[in-house]
Amino acid sequence: MRAVFDWLDHRTGFRDLRHHLFDEPLPPGTGWAFTLGSLLLFGLTLQVLTGTLLALFYAPTPDHAWDSVRYITNDVRGGFLLRGLHHWGASLVVVTAVLHLARVVLFGSYKAPREMNWVVGLVLLHVILAFGLTGYLLPWDQRAYWATVVTINISKLTPLAGEFVADLLRGGSDIGALTLTRWYAVHVLVLPPTLFGLTALHLYLMRRHGISGPITPRSGLSETFFPYQAARDLTVAIVVGAALAILAWQGAPALEPPADPSASGYIPRPEWYFLGLFQLLKYFPGRLEVVGAIVIPGAVMTVLCLLPWIDRARSRGLQERRWLLTGLAAGIAALCTLTVMGAMDTPAQADGEWNVREQAGLALMSDTTCTSCHRATAMSAPIDPLRVSQPRDWLVGHLQDPQMIAPGLRVAPPSNQYDHEAILAALARGRSGSIPELGLDDGAVAVLFNRNCLRCHVMGPVGGAEGPALTTIGATLTEASLVRQITTPLGVKPDGAMPAFAGKLTADEIARLASWLATRR
Amino acid sequence: MEQRRFFLVRMVTAAAALIGASLGVLVAAVAIPRRRTVVRRWRAAASMFDLPPSGPLVATLTERQADGWNETRKQTVVFLDKLETPDGGGDGYQALSATCTHLGCRVAWNADELHYKCPCHGGVFDRQGHVVSGPPPRGLERLSVRVNPETAELEVEL
Repeated sequence: MRAVFDWLDHRTGFRDLRHHLFDEPLPPGTGWAFTLGSLLLFGLTLQVLTGTLLALFYAPTPDHAWDSVRYITNDVRGGFLLRGLHHWGASLVVVTAVLHLARVVLFGSYKAPREMNWVVGLVLLHVILAFGLTGYLLPWDQRAYWATVVTINISKLTPLAGEFVADLLRGGSDIGALTLTRWYAVHVLVLPPTLFGLTALHLYLMRRHGISGPITPRSGLSETFFPYQAARDLTVAIVVGAALAILAWQGAPALEPPADPSASGYIPRPEWYFLGLFQLLKYFPGRLEVVGAIVIPGAVMTVLCLLPWIDRARSRGLQERRWLLTGLAAGIAALCTLTVMGAMDTPAQADGEWNVREQAGLALMSDTTCTSCHRATAMSAPIDPLRVSQPRDWLVGHLQDPQMIAPGLRVAPPSNQYDHEAILAALARGRSGSIPELGLDDGAVAVLFNRNCLRCHVMGPVGGAEGPALTTIGATLTEASLVRQITTPLGVKPDGAMPAFAGKLTADEIARLASWLATRR
Repeated sequence: MEQRRFFLVRMVTAAAALIGASLGVLVAAVAIPRRRTVVRRWRAAASMFDLPPSGPLVATLTERQADGWNETRKQTVVFLDKLETPDGGGDGYQALSATCTHLGCRVAWNADELHYKCPCHGGVFDRQGHVVSGPPPRGLERLSVRVNPETAELEVEL
């Protein structure tokens, strides 16, 4: 065996290479602070691996991108984990890159003779952000689409060449198929080799000048990278990797409804690491927009890039550089504040429990009203809210008279405008999240309530204002008094405006409504 | 001899530069998208009787459009409104684009505050589309609108 390796070493020189790579002497006192670069390398490797696996199943076309991502999440073995790892891995890479940069500034490692490695590192940071930006569009859901609309509009602010840059990014006159293929190509074909090349250069320069080591050089024996620093690097990688796996195991990142340029009520937000920039844009009205979008970020990057030449003193001591470090701390604090403000300013998307109207709609959709036609074995496919692409007026027409759409097939199911509103509400809600399981009784009561009560009474976030709100009616009225109130309201309150439901609803229906209302507290 | 070497260095550099430039031209030719000329035409948006008594009507205009090898339904959202004192012509009707002039998000009519509001960066426009507050650099784009006397439909030039 030894002979084989000897031969191989003679032909390739791998032992010299291994010695050169692993037995690098490190300055005494190189410690945990210097593991961030390796952690970044670990994160990037993970991204390349998970990204390649995702590419096995992903189709970069508007017709299929969203479906292929859904397929990855739901059907590919381990697919949800793959998406989770790639998603959280992207955040890990951004966070680690910024921490790495902060470490370099804190330790004064950017100083001569390491200026060029500092510059290469900054370019790498931009490559990483470009990965994040291009990867974001690929799932082709609402979030992806609208984040890209904003990105491309920001690019229009580029001085002199705004429209040209926007055209180049879009690949056409609108965001569409050509944008998706373009960003996919950049994400998987242009950026990775750039990343590999620059990373190699970064490591080469790191080795050329050696690691900067602790701020005040220590005396003592120098350690080799392998196995001493390698042990620290791997410990960090394992801990962070485990945290990442736990995050990914919680479930795949949300896939929102497919991109819809005409959707109303959608609140676009970028990925969290761009939230600070997003928030900054709110403070620059009108013609000053370019200040927030380009001038400030550009100035920050220019100052960072020139840092080794701005701070030319030899000393790496914290005391001597306190102004610079204060500036950096202020910058990081500003970025964090903006990010937190951006996150707080995000209005809640519709989530939480489905309201009673949406529940009623869901119940109507699951009973024979819809399923007599829309089921696996019948004339129409089962309803998937995410795949309903018809405009609202078409849906209203279809609900009022299914024959309008499919003449001669069947009569319209019995329903009224309140039912239609409920079904539309459920379809809209079903597009923005998972569909809950409804008990049979709950569904039936929701339908009754929606049909008879909701026009005048508020229940949670929905309902009319003519009558008193019923959201917490169970706290004030008992079931028996509720039955009386619904059956003969004038007997309870002679000057009230509420009609009697004695003849409209059966005693059983009234009892079910009352017992359900009595639980609303 | 030295001169010959010098000449050759020049030639090799020039040849490499030529190859690089040709590839650069190829990249630019392919990667820079062709600009499509936009042709505006009148398109029916809604019946004039559909306008609600208060507030604007949201109309979504759909048009089939080539998108690379794909054919998409390009959807444009406009707000149709009838104003007492219109700024322009159009028989008192007004059509506003729903695209925020800040960064292109979709604005929505807020019936409580009687303003158009953008969900992205908080731009606010009044009913005429003028900027009230927030970052938008100019008012909502005003589209030409006319009433088709034969069909009683409002038509928008897009």
